[in-house]
Amino acid sequence: MRYSYGILDQKQILLYQPQLFLRNNDVLTFPTREFHKWHGDIKEYLDGLYQIQLRSGTVKKPLSLDINDFNLANAVLNNITDEVKDLFDENNILNLSHHYVSTLDDKYKKMVGNNYTTDMKRCDTKILLKPRITPWMKEKHMMEIVDAVSMEIRAKERNKKLQ
Amino acid sequence: MRVSEGVTRGKIAELNNPEIFREREEVVVFKRDEFNRIYRSMMEQIHHVNQIHLYLDESETWKLMGYWPKVMERVYIIDKNMDALLRNEPLQCYLDAFLESSVGSFSGEVAASKGKVSAKDMLPI
Repeated sequence: MRYSYGILDQKQILLYQPQLFLRNNDVLTFPTREFHKWHGDIKEYLDGLYQIQLRSGTVKKPLSLDINDFNLANAVLNNITDEVKDLFDENNILNLSHHYVSTLDDKYKKMVGNNYTTDMKRCDTKILLKPRITPWMKEKHMMEIVDAVSMEIRAKERNKKLQ
Repeated sequence: MRVSEGVTRGKIAELNNPEIFREREEVVVFKRDEFNRIYRSMMEQIHHVNQIHLYLDESETWKLMGYWPKVMERVYIIDKNMDALLRNEPLQCYLDAFLESSVGSFSGEVAASKGKVSAKDMLPI
């Protein structure tokens, strides 16, 4: 996402990278320090969620978790909701005394699978296989339609005979 | 958090209410529609997880195994969104939606990569 730092100078903002914006772009401005703090807070909660996953099943072992883990995860998500909602609340004053920097390795963010989930995935993702249309296939397709129509006609004739 | 809207004019940006910031305070400036996109995406993901939690019956804990990956999928999207906020790369979805591709199709390259995969591997069974 395009963003630029800037400094407030005589009620206007001097942009450090003005080339990223067009003239008359609508922009939103946040104080840098508080925004970084907010960003770090949410990253902290997200890392917490990954840690719940890690505790319930390491990367190699099959996943196992109970309702408590799920409730815990939901509580952490509620905290994220609060943080996201508080972003536009001017009265919300952040505690700037500490700052979280995420150092969680990417390998812990991988999805832990078990047999059940892979089966679910197979059901969920529809694999589209596009066959190459050859003259033979075209003819077969045509003949299928012709067969279906001729079957209908034959059935109708049979009905007439029965009547 | 203190937030102000504004309009860019070349090198400077004019704010609607500059008095909430201190003089010489460093600020970070986002494009409004891009920020809007990220923000709404995050709210949507959170809403989805909350709904899963809401409709989960406490007695049917065996369903958790299926729901957990769904929840983590959403968490992963939130994580990616947070990363995208402070990274000066264009948003891929944004580009897909708004830029017409001037480059011709890559049908040749696609065919080459497809050739490496045997037909058996592509079958769902």
